Amino acid sequence: MMGMNKFGIPLAMMGLLFITGCNKENKPAGQEETKAGGFARSKTLYLGGSQWGDPNSFNPLTDWPAWPVNDKFNIMFETLLAYNTLTGKFEPLLGTLESQSADSVVVVLNPAAKWSDGQPVTSADVKFVYELGKRFKGAATAYAIDFVSDIKVSATADKAERLTFMVNKKGRNNPLVVLDFLQAIRILPAHIFEPKLAQLKDLAEVQKLKCDSNPVVSGPYNLETYSNEKIILKRRDDYWGNAALHGGKLAGPQFIIHPIYKSNDAFAIALAQNDLDATQTYIPRIWMKKNAGVMTWYDKEPYFVPGAVPTLLINSTRYPLSDKAFRRAMAFAIDYKSIKDLAVSGYSPDIKPGAIMPFGIEAGFYNDEDAQKYGAAFNVESAKKILADAGYKSVFKADGTLDKMIDGKGKPVPTLFVKSPAGWSDWEAIVTLAVKGMRAAGIDVREGFVDAGLYWQSQPVGDFDLEMIKPAASVTPSQPWSRLAALMSSRTWAPPGEKMNENQGRFNNPKGKGYIKAVDSLLSVIPTLTDKAALTQAYRQLNILFMQEQPALPLCYLPEQFYQVNTKTWTNWASEANPYAPPNLPWAGAATKMLWELKPAK
Amino acid sequence: MTKLLKNLLKSPSFIIGMGLFLLTIGGALLLPFFYHVNLGLQASSYASPNGKFLLGCDHLGRDMVSMLIEGLRSSLYVGLLTGVIATTLGTALGIYGGFKGGWMDDFVNLVTNLFLVIPSFVVLILISSSLSKGRSLTLIGLIIGLTTWTWSARAVRAQAASLKSRDHIALARINGANTFRVLTLHILPYLASYVFMIFILQVASGILSEAAISMIGLGPLDTVSLGTILNDAKNQGGFGDGMWWAFMPATVIITVLVFALYIINTSMEGVFNPRLRK
Amino acid sequence: MLKQYPTARYILHRGGWYFLTFLVAVTINFFLPRLGASNPVDIIMGKAGSGLDTEAAREKEESYLKEFGLVQVDATGTILRGPDGKPLKSSNVSQFFNYVKMCFQGDFGTSFQKYPKKVTTIIAEAVPWTLALQLPTIMFGWIVGNVLGALAAYRRGVFDRVFFPLALLLSAVPFFAFGMLLVYVCAIKNGWLPAMGGYAGDLVPGFNFDFFKSAGYHYILPFFSIFLILAGGQAIGMRSMGIYELGTDYIKYAKWLGIKENKILLYLFRNAMLPQLTGLALSLGGMIGGALITEMIFSYPGLGMAILSAIQGQDYPMIQGCTLLVTISVLIANFTVDILIGFLDPRVKAGQMGGN
Repeated sequence: MMGMNKFGIPLAMMGLLFITGCNKENKPAGQEETKAGGFARSKTLYLGGSQWGDPNSFNPLTDWPAWPVNDKFNIMFETLLAYNTLTGKFEPLLGTLESQSADSVVVVLNPAAKWSDGQPVTSADVKFVYELGKRFKGAATAYAIDFVSDIKVSATADKAERLTFMVNKKGRNNPLVVLDFLQAIRILPAHIFEPKLAQLKDLAEVQKLKCDSNPVVSGPYNLETYSNEKIILKRRDDYWGNAALHGGKLAGPQFIIHPIYKSNDAFAIALAQNDLDATQTYIPRIWMKKNAGVMTWYDKEPYFVPGAVPTLLINSTRYPLSDKAFRRAMAFAIDYKSIKDLAVSGYSPDIKPGAIMPFGIEAGFYNDEDAQKYGAAFNVESAKKILADAGYKSVFKADGTLDKMIDGKGKPVPTLFVKSPAGWSDWEAIVTLAVKGMRAAGIDVREGFVDAGLYWQSQPVGDFDLEMIKPAASVTPSQPWSRLAALMSSRTWAPPGEKMNENQGRFNNPKGKGYIKAVDSLLSVIPTLTDKAALTQAYRQLNILFMQEQPALPLCYLPEQFYQVNTKTWTNWASEANPYAPPNLPWAGAATKMLWELKPAK
Repeated sequence: MTKLLKNLLKSPSFIIGMGLFLLTIGGALLLPFFYHVNLGLQASSYASPNGKFLLGCDHLGRDMVSMLIEGLRSSLYVGLLTGVIATTLGTALGIYGGFKGGWMDDFVNLVTNLFLVIPSFVVLILISSSLSKGRSLTLIGLIIGLTTWTWSARAVRAQAASLKSRDHIALARINGANTFRVLTLHILPYLASYVFMIFILQVASGILSEAAISMIGLGPLDTVSLGTILNDAKNQGGFGDGMWWAFMPATVIITVLVFALYIINTSMEGVFNPRLRK
Repeated sequence: MLKQYPTARYILHRGGWYFLTFLVAVTINFFLPRLGASNPVDIIMGKAGSGLDTEAAREKEESYLKEFGLVQVDATGTILRGPDGKPLKSSNVSQFFNYVKMCFQGDFGTSFQKYPKKVTTIIAEAVPWTLALQLPTIMFGWIVGNVLGALAAYRRGVFDRVFFPLALLLSAVPFFAFGMLLVYVCAIKNGWLPAMGGYAGDLVPGFNFDFFKSAGYHYILPFFSIFLILAGGQAIGMRSMGIYELGTDYIKYAKWLGIKENKILLYLFRNAMLPQLTGLALSLGGMIGGALITEMIFSYPGLGMAILSAIQGQDYPMIQGCTLLVTISVLIANFTVDILIGFLDPRVKAGQMGGN
């Protein structure tokens, strides 16, 4: 391996090396003889969009493992529960949800669950992952100890292990996030990693292992081989869940290949040419690919199930954005319909005011009357009126374009910039259209597309006027709480220049004049509420506060963990007409069960 | 000089090249008077060419003809800016190094090589990461100019070195003329036509470089150029979806523009070196 | 010194200046990225920190700062802190010496973006693809271009009148736009050839027939996108040089002497070839930079793609490693040209002998 490093470059530079150098050292041991073309198209499922860079490590203890060890994908390592983003319910995986309360969440481990080396999955494995933070602060799952104070183990009547996750009352006291964990934190084989920790002494050393050679997993597929261009998984025919969860069936595809393309347009081409069965990338104008066999969840607009809310975050510490009236005027000035139609190919239902989604799982917490009463919808005249009432004057040029703004004291209002990463094509289009609308209403805003590095840097320190973000983007059991917290929580409020990981617009300074205590108390009480009516009431109040204060401007809804598929090789995908699984790629959450339902096309 | 011009005007390829070039410049300057250039959102995403939008629309539903006119203006601006910067710098350093020789020549050579080995895109990334207002067209022109003067310096240097030993220059030096005087009065005039040819090539390379830089996503922000049109066609899926109007017209315009400049260059070469003309 | 060996002195002299250029380039190469305002750890944190709350994010950030040597640590590896509890940043100068030391050990550092992969590993994996695509294409394009250019110069007539404008037009097409055109016609519209990638989706690189067949199939479009434009440019250069040399006194003299046409042609090409050789060396030296957009259009797995993603991810060590590679290859190419011309061109040779 080292020899390759030292001699690879000079050799290659002399032009003596043709292809021989590539990927040698990536290849897991024992895979050298992989037969080319051994992955028959009819037995292989091509899925894309989760891995963009070179696969470097399949070590689940690192922050950046490659697909499918990253994120909450459960086809190699599995979570205790699978979350169904369509129904909002938990489905059994390594465990089954037994009960939940404000104090604890109880899960029963499936006694059939086994690692690929034959060892059973036990409470020791669960405790290993959840409590790693007690031993190593740098562990990827270290944050779990702030939320889970203890995991109590008892036996059920039929001798299965019952795990009681105690909510850390002294810590964050947030059972909602504990539920998030159960469907996100993957259980790892303690009997493999403990000896390595003991031998190498430090977690950082163990994190350097690649774990790419025949890893011990509990899921239905395991790593076959990989290169910089693809990751290949092979079905485990002895997967414990075949009998325990899927009625003795084997998953359909024998191989899953995740090709690694570098840009969105490459996915579009591959999907249309049937080199890819499904992808979760943004592909504009999907209806044009219908003839090529491409389908989506809905047959018509919006085509996908929404999951995230691209939002303009407002820096409330800067003038004139500190003025609530100014922020409200902005919300009235944006033409949300044009954003939906032109920037995101219509992949969004019509937006409604507030930060809670008016459909799907969150619909129960949404109140249309409140939205009518307090919310801002596109209306240029209302925007102009609010500005005029607050004393702002917009000066237009002869050709009708905006020249400048003057405030009530006769002073000029500074031009505001919307920070957004240059080159993120759909965001650029969204920002362009939002700016167009606001300028037409007389608000002096400009696009500020910046280098991605500058963008990431400005966000935590609040160095922006307005900034494009997707607050708490994934569909989890804690929504819409996590989105509202990401937009409004003052729990860790710090002045601009210091870092914050939520509410980076610095809305609602706890030490400021007009501090609205209700926002933070609602945010801390919602996770502990179990009574449905009380919960709905609390969300209503919080959403009203959001609409009144307008700390950010939600612009449209977009799918998250969505997929579009080509049905030429594999059929029977879940869809609106056949919603047996949620609308995610078959490696995420409860959508994994689709793998057992896919059928080869004729 | 007038004789040269007369000869040039007799060359049919010069006429063709110049004609094409003037046509594009004229198009960029005059078309806005005849055609209502409107960069607003007017139709659906990638609307196909029709009576109203002769070359269809881009991903935001902006009229492609308007985009191309605006893009052509930007490309010409960048090309000329680059041409002036690169030619001036290259000529000045090339003449000086070639004429002076010795360690001065070596030093100029070092600077030249330095700019040769640091790719312009690297400079561009680094500069744009430190500018909060983002990259403007002028900044891109400046950077291309400042990183591509090297080959004109090399070319001029070779010419200047060969002129150095000519009799009348030696005479001027013996008569006590200082370096600056010799360079501007005795060497530069001999090189004028050569420098002009270099300028033409630098303009062409500036136009191509802008397109290339925009193509890798480092193009001007808030401005339409032929390069950003091509980049949008690829990134926003117009190219993948087979919408020819998203990228073909911009490609043709760049090609015609550069082709015209190349013809001018070779026809001038032909006039100065009559053997090429036959 | 070395007065009696003018050639050796010439080589040493030029080599010395090139080495100096190299040193300056390495220094600039290191400091330029650090003049920028953004810090790579912020970019990593933008992604790694997205699900974390503020305190957890801060801890994670410090562990990355330590990993990339951006903060000062004591002998036991603990981060040194200022009076305000914030970690002390390590100075650019100490980072520079550390960088130079590592470079001499053949270690370009760890990639920020592809952490924990080494930059040398990434380069070693990508370079063969770029070489395999660029080297034969440039050589072949150069040879074909020069042969056609020489023919046009020698034959003139109808062949020249058709060929010359065509070559000129070809060289005016931006090569990436030409690549897009090829993909559009041959892949997207008609599906004759694969639109992207270096080899088929169901293969893993290895020494076997299927892989090489697939790689060859994927080679066709990128090859032509570079080859035609390069050949066009070379042909134009060769044509003018050829015509120029045809009119020189020595050729006229040779003709007058009645020397055989083949022999005259040989002289002609030897002299016309010199500037063309320069062009070849320069395009070989610059091929890594040139590979960038071609590889992007074709999603080709070479060094160009690696640089591109490094640019997008502001991966300093990777950008530095690649620019170092570009620097070395361009300098070597230039140096070779200088030496070559010194040996082949009698005029320059005479210049070295006579001093000033």
